[in-house]
Amino acid sequence: MKIYDFTGAPNPRRVRVFLAEKGIQVPYEQVNIATGENRKPEFLKKNPMGGLPVLEFDDGTYLAESVAICRYFEGQHPEPNLMGGDAKEKAVIEMWNRRMEFEVLGLVAAAFRNTSDFFKGRIPQAPDYGEIAKAAAIKRFEWLDGELATRKFIAGDRYTIADITGLIGVDFGRASAIRIQPEQKNLARWHAEVSSRASAKA
Amino acid sequence: MKLYDFSVAPNPRRVRIFVAEKGLNIPVQEIDLYARQSRTPEFLKKNPAGQVPLLELDDGSYLAESVAICRYLEGLHPDPNLMGRDTREQAFIEMWSRRMELELFGGVDRYFQNTDPMFKGRFPQFADYAEAQRAYAVQRLTRMDGELAGREFIAADRYTIADITALVAIDLFTGLAKQPFPSGLPNVKRWHDTVSSRASAKA
Repeated sequence: MKIYDFTGAPNPRRVRVFLAEKGIQVPYEQVNIATGENRKPEFLKKNPMGGLPVLEFDDGTYLAESVAICRYFEGQHPEPNLMGGDAKEKAVIEMWNRRMEFEVLGLVAAAFRNTSDFFKGRIPQAPDYGEIAKAAAIKRFEWLDGELATRKFIAGDRYTIADITGLIGVDFGRASAIRIQPEQKNLARWHAEVSSRASAKA
Repeated sequence: MKLYDFSVAPNPRRVRIFVAEKGLNIPVQEIDLYARQSRTPEFLKKNPAGQVPLLELDDGSYLAESVAICRYLEGLHPDPNLMGRDTREQAFIEMWSRRMELELFGGVDRYFQNTDPMFKGRFPQFADYAEAQRAYAVQRLTRMDGELAGREFIAADRYTIADITALVAIDLFTGLAKQPFPSGLPNVKRWHDTVSSRASAKA
């Protein structure tokens, strides 16, 4: 088993933090997105979308999509639980993870993709849309600050995959100057807490 | 249990098809998005995001997000299975459902939101972004045609949630978004005919 990874990108970090929380060791192989290694025919055979991370099984099959990879490891190693116990908890965590994914990480990533020099020439950029996405992401930080006034973690009273997605979304905001504001005390408190876990360095 | 629904919108349809495939009867309350019924204080108390579908549970709590609702129902009623039986199958179905969601449904939805007069004034629409998203969705369908050359369904040897996501995306593209069904994709067409002929597709 092996994970194709790129330490500079947000999605691979989601899986690295998840595995660090689980205490699972999987060998990593770097695929450099900056030099376009993920667009070479050899890698596209593994994941035709060219996205990272990708999990390679010993039988030679490949699993893409960060959350799908996390779900596989959650099934294999249920403890410590990060994706829910019973049907209701699984669903509530999925709801919050998706909110973090679409409302925070997704908007932050859309701002970066459509405005950064990194993506210039790589994808068709719509800078006007990028600015809207950035403004929307800033609003979502305010919303999240309000949500965190009532509980310790994103999905409830314990750390879950939703915190991982939220952490990586907030951290990736820095690349587009989207930051936690001084008055967002709850968001800052949560961010300091999840960043202080050993897994955050993964 | 009660499902807050809007019969015209694509995301609620994902849940309705899922419920139909499971053979469940869940009372439905229509929330008319055109009449801004999802923005009333009463509804915002249930879901501050102002979105449907929304599932009201018997304990009075609310569950939003289509796939989270599906996962809850899958947990309560595992058969017929739509999200995977074992760990590995669950992971691969999730991969395919996400590909359909992020690459196909997402592209179609962003195209629709950036072109349809319904959204004018509610948020800024960008023609360049809309066109890039339309092209992205069509590119995904072209890839899908190759993927479906060797298999009947998207994620497994049977119908799963990934098929629901893709069906709703394509019907949004050719329905509300008024785009022609892309030509030259015989496998996508064959698959679309198959999944559309299921009773659940009318949900």
